[in-house]
Amino acid sequence: MGFNLSPSPSLTHSSKPSLVTVMPLLTQTIFHPSTTISHRHPGIACTPTRLSNPRHLCLLLSLLASLWLGAMVPSQSEATETVVHRENSLYQYLLVLEDKEKNERYLVNREKTTLYQGGVKLDTPDQLLFEYSRISFLGLAYLKQLPKDALFIGMGIGAMPRFMAKHFPENTIEIVEIDPAVVNIAKEYFSFKELGQMTVKVEDGRQFIKRSKKGYDIVFLDAYQGETIPFHLTTREFLQEVKARLNPGGVVVSNILSPKKNKFFTSMVKTYNAEFVNLSIYKGKESSNYVFVASGQAVTPEVVWNRAKDIQDGRRLGIDLAAINQDQLVSSLPEENAEILTDDFAPVNLYQHMEEGQP
Amino acid sequence: MIKLIVFICGAIVMSFEILGSRVLAPNFGSSVFAWGSLISTFLAGLSAGYYFGGKAADRSPSTRKLSLIVLCPAILFLTFPFYSNPVADWVFDLNLGIRLGPLLASILLFFLPSLFLGAVSPYTAKLAICSLHTSGKTIGTLYALSTLGSIVGTLATSFYLITVAGVKVLIMAQGGALLVLGGILFYANIRCEIPEWLKRPDEKHS
Repeated sequence: MGFNLSPSPSLTHSSKPSLVTVMPLLTQTIFHPSTTISHRHPGIACTPTRLSNPRHLCLLLSLLASLWLGAMVPSQSEATETVVHRENSLYQYLLVLEDKEKNERYLVNREKTTLYQGGVKLDTPDQLLFEYSRISFLGLAYLKQLPKDALFIGMGIGAMPRFMAKHFPENTIEIVEIDPAVVNIAKEYFSFKELGQMTVKVEDGRQFIKRSKKGYDIVFLDAYQGETIPFHLTTREFLQEVKARLNPGGVVVSNILSPKKNKFFTSMVKTYNAEFVNLSIYKGKESSNYVFVASGQAVTPEVVWNRAKDIQDGRRLGIDLAAINQDQLVSSLPEENAEILTDDFAPVNLYQHMEEGQP
Repeated sequence: MIKLIVFICGAIVMSFEILGSRVLAPNFGSSVFAWGSLISTFLAGLSAGYYFGGKAADRSPSTRKLSLIVLCPAILFLTFPFYSNPVADWVFDLNLGIRLGPLLASILLFFLPSLFLGAVSPYTAKLAICSLHTSGKTIGTLYALSTLGSIVGTLATSFYLITVAGVKVLIMAQGGALLVLGGILFYANIRCEIPEWLKRPDEKHS
């Protein structure tokens, strides 16, 4: 049973490696494009046992597990994260963790995971901690002029809308989040506030899109259930419904978590390409996220670079969007071995777990 | 034959339920509300089917009548792609809220087929039972086969079928299977036979 619109996963760095007696086998970082995703791995908790040499056993198990998963990085990290809040909502299990050393707070769905639904550095709450959320604002450079109306589907801790409200205060910002508990957590633990022209609506993203009569210049799609986009938010029909809500020249920015360029990735590319004239994809360096920027008109990277420069300087974003455009644009978009996902046929769960090149 | 029917109908009910979640999702999401609506609708359909199927079975039961019980959902399944989207969209436009919306859509789309498939169980039981001495075993076997079929239907659909074909094709294929089954039943004549071990003691004593 997949549920909907939860926040925005990003696989990112976590605590520094160090040795402790109780060490969950969890990979902390996805450093390299070819690195296997690890947060899905059940993890072997190596607790001290009555065995004569528990640490050896632990090491052995870690080793075995890492062999099994290929490139997984078995880190032995000290859990410097403390639980600030935990809650079982209507849709998911929610945990707010705090890393005292780094002075960061995260929203996650599981006890031991590196899949963050949101995160913030507590002394700089207005900045974007996660790379994919910074890349996402490159979507603005695909617009002819600065946006007036923005829509966020999937709220997380509200970092992106907050950033938008700060740097583009003239914008109306709508946020749609299915889980009321996520909205409350964002407010209570991540100092999120509905400022001025910002509204939060608790609803399924697709239902909102279908009912909405408004037009948007930019739509951010970042709705996840754990590590998965709910299938009804991946399909061609959904993209058509989103397109119908775009103002002329409007842009869709989508966070696609995909540790491999497998059939899930290629099918997402094919589905977006089927509905949008232009699709530019940026690859995260720090995480397994891709950011899809889709729009109805072709734009050259040079034009995007120029606009990105103007926006980052004019609005003091503190993000080098132009550099991201230059370095992280994915040049070839594979469409072989891919299906257009539709409401009728969208086996995203299966595709996500496939290897690269596996038909 | 009876056993096969019960097994297949059991499989189709649950397969249809899994596929139903996909049918609801575009309009109603796949939240706990959508699942709750879906499951309770199927259970309501089945229990109504058990009741009316049992009642009908007491009025001169025949395989021909059973074939009609199977052919009704066959037609509903084969035409499903033509009415499912209009019905779901219509309910969506009523804007009944996150609970009532999926519930009404579920009832309109799934209640009738599950009612007919539910009616198969008591009806086949009636046809298969000819001696009260063995009725317990007969009913038990049919229950077991039906539920076994449901397990196969659930797993096959969620693990495999949904990854190889579209939802509408799968539902129509099930309609096709029911059509074939109903067709065979229409011309078949199933009567129960009193098991040998029940006859013998009487023969010995006489």
